[in-house]
Amino acid sequence: MLEIKHTLCPSCSVGCGVNVVLHNGDVVGTYPYKRHQVNEGKNCLNGRNSIEIYKSKLETPLISNASVNFDKVIDEISGELKSCDSDKITVVCSGNNSVEEAEMIKDFAESNNYNIAFYADNFVNLNADVASYEDIENASNIIVIGDVLYDNPLIGRRIVHAKKNGANIYSCVQDKSVTANVSDEIFDSIEATLDKVDDSSVIVFNTIESGADLEKIYGADCKALPVFSKCNSKGVSSIIDPISKEDLIELLDKTDVLLIFNDDIVSEIDYDFGSISTLITLVPCLNSTSEVSKIVVPIKSWIENDGSFVNSMGETQNFKAAIESESLSEVEIIEKIQNKL
Amino acid sequence: MSYVLAKSKNSDILEAGECGGAVTSIFKYLLDEGIVDGVLTISPQDDIYDGVPTFVTDSEDLINTAGSYHCAPTMVGDLIQKYLSDKKIAVAVKPCDIRSINELIKRHKINPDNIYTVGLNCGGTVSPVTGRKMIDLFYEINPDDVVSEEIDKGQFIVELADGTEKGVKIHDLETEGFGRRLNCQRCDVKIPRKANIACGNWGASEGWTFIEINDEKGEELIEGAKKAGLIETKSPSQDAIDARSKVENIMIKLSKKTQDATYGKVNEMEEWNRCIRCYACRDVCPICWCHENCEINKSYFKDSGIPPKPIAFQGIRLSHMSFSCVDCGQCDDVCPMDIPVSLIFDKLQKKYSDRTGYIAGVSDDIKPPLYSPAKEEL
Repeated sequence: MLEIKHTLCPSCSVGCGVNVVLHNGDVVGTYPYKRHQVNEGKNCLNGRNSIEIYKSKLETPLISNASVNFDKVIDEISGELKSCDSDKITVVCSGNNSVEEAEMIKDFAESNNYNIAFYADNFVNLNADVASYEDIENASNIIVIGDVLYDNPLIGRRIVHAKKNGANIYSCVQDKSVTANVSDEIFDSIEATLDKVDDSSVIVFNTIESGADLEKIYGADCKALPVFSKCNSKGVSSIIDPISKEDLIELLDKTDVLLIFNDDIVSEIDYDFGSISTLITLVPCLNSTSEVSKIVVPIKSWIENDGSFVNSMGETQNFKAAIESESLSEVEIIEKIQNKL
Repeated sequence: MSYVLAKSKNSDILEAGECGGAVTSIFKYLLDEGIVDGVLTISPQDDIYDGVPTFVTDSEDLINTAGSYHCAPTMVGDLIQKYLSDKKIAVAVKPCDIRSINELIKRHKINPDNIYTVGLNCGGTVSPVTGRKMIDLFYEINPDDVVSEEIDKGQFIVELADGTEKGVKIHDLETEGFGRRLNCQRCDVKIPRKANIACGNWGASEGWTFIEINDEKGEELIEGAKKAGLIETKSPSQDAIDARSKVENIMIKLSKKTQDATYGKVNEMEEWNRCIRCYACRDVCPICWCHENCEINKSYFKDSGIPPKPIAFQGIRLSHMSFSCVDCGQCDDVCPMDIPVSLIFDKLQKKYSDRTGYIAGVSDDIKPPLYSPAKEEL
C-alpha cells in the first residue's frame, strides 16, 4: 500500500513541512508538502535526507557495544544514576527534542536534583524582538551573518524574495558562498556589517563566535532572527535556558555521569569526553556521541512520534506519528528509569 | 478517437463528483470488477488546498477523491515508476502526468499493459499557498471558508458553504503575480490525448462529463462502466464538440503568447548563481530516474563548488533531460532558491521540438534522443 503523510522536517529550526512516502508499511521516500505555509513543498537536501534517521534506526540497546534487552539497560542506567552523587550527574537536553519531551526531561532532572544543560549553537536567551519570515521578505535592508542561503535555504529563499522586492543585502560571510552571491556588500566582521542597520532592517544569523557577538546583534536597533541548527531549539529554549559553550564546558568538567537526550554533543563541542566516567545516550540512530557512550538506548525518531516543535520565528507546529512503531519514546524511557530510582 | 458525454448513475458520486462524476464511476468499475489493484488519484488531506496522491484499493473510499482540486500541483509519474510498477493500476492524469508516464514507458520504467489512464483536461494548477493568499487578497474571503474551487470561462471561481460563488479573471490574478503556476501558464497541452480517455467539463452540458476516447482501452473503460450500470452516456452535439475545441484553442493561444513573452527574458547565469546543488530539481523530475548512477554525483562534477559550475550541473542536466521535459513545473515547485528551472528546460525543449518535431510525452513511438540501450542496464 502506498501512502503519503505529512510531517515536519527535523533538520533545522526553519520548520518546513515534508511529506513522507510509506510503501508497505516502510518509509521509502519524501514527497513535496506544497500546502505547508513555511516552505510550500521546497526542502533542502538535509530535509529530504532526514528520513535516513528512521531508515538507519538503532534496534536494540547497547552496553559497552554489546546488545542487551530493555530491562537490562534500564537497570544499568538506574544503577549508574543511583551510584553517583546527583550534583555530579548532568542531563543534556537537545533542540532535537520536542516541546513535550523537553518538559519531561526538565522535570526528570529537577526532581532528581541533577544538573541540566541545553546547548543551542552558543545562542543564549536574550530579551529581543524576533523577526518573522514575513518581516524578512518585507525588509528594506537585510543583514545576514553566516551562509544562511546554503545552510537554511528556506530562510535564504525569503532573503532572495526581499532582494527581488528591492532590499539591500549586507552579509558577514565568506565571499565564495551562495549568500555572498546575492549580497550587495560583504563584510569580514559582524561590527562592520551591523553598521548598515537602520530601523527597517532585519538581521538573520545562524552562527556567532561568542556571547559578545550576540549582544551586538541584539543591541542593534532592529528585529533579528536567530536560525538554529536543530528543529526545536527555539521551543526548548523557552523551557530550559540555553547555555554558552564556555558554561557547558565548565559543567562537563564537574560531571561524572552524562545523560544525553537525542543530541550529538561530541560532534559539536571540542571537549575530552573520555574524562567523564559514564556517558549514557538516548538516540534514534548511532552518532559520534553514541560511539563514545557506555550505554546507548534507541528511541523513537520524530517520524514515529506525536509532538510539537517551535520554529525560529516562534510558531508552534504540531506533528503526528507518520508510522507506527514498537520503539519506546524518550518519555516512556524516562518513566521506566524514574520508576527504578 | 470519438466523443461521448457521460454521467454517474450513483447519486452519491454524482453529487460529490465534478461535472457528472464519470471519472469516479469509471474508477469504481475498475476496482469493483477487480480489473485493477488500486486507483492512484488525489484526495484532500487538511483542506481543499491540500490535495495529496492517494492509492485507493476499496471503491467505497473513492468518494473521498471525487471533485476537482486545482490547488494540487501533484505529479504521479514518478510515484508509479518507483512504487507501483508491479501493480495493475488506474490513474487520474493531468496532461503533464500522462506525458511523464509516456516518457517513462519509452524508458521501460512503466509497463503500459499495467495501467489505465483517465485523463483530466487541465487549464492549469495553482500552488496551494499562493491560492490561499490570492483568495484572501482578491476575493476578500477567508480561504478556510471555501468549500470548492474551479477554473471556468477564464475565471478562478471559489464556492462557499452557503452555495455563493465568487470568480476573478485569471488574467487579472496573473498580472498581479498570482493565479496559475508559471509552467501552467506556458503549457500548450491542455487535453491529455495520450491517456486512454480525456475527461472534463469543456463543451459538456450541465451535470455531464465530456469524454474524448483516445484508444481501444478507453473504449473498454466506457463500455465496461456502462455495462456495470455505473454510468450512462449520450453523444455530444457538434456544437458541444466545437465549444470544447474552442476552449482548448483559446487556452493554447494564450499559452503560446506566454511562451513568447517569457522564454527570452530568463537570464540563466544569474538564476544559476543561487543554486545550492541540493539535487531537488533532479530528484523530483518524474522522468530523470537513474539517480544512483547519475553523472552529477561523480566527484569530478560534484566538487565544482557551491554554486556549482553551470557546465558541471545545469549543463549536464540540460543535455540529458531538456528534450524530454514535459514542463510539469515540479522542479520549480521544489527549488529552495526559486530558480525557474522548468522555464529553462521547457525553452530548450521547444527549440528541440521546433527542429525535430519531437514533443516530450506527446510524440508517438519515438525514443527520446540520447536514449541508448545501456540506459536499460542501469
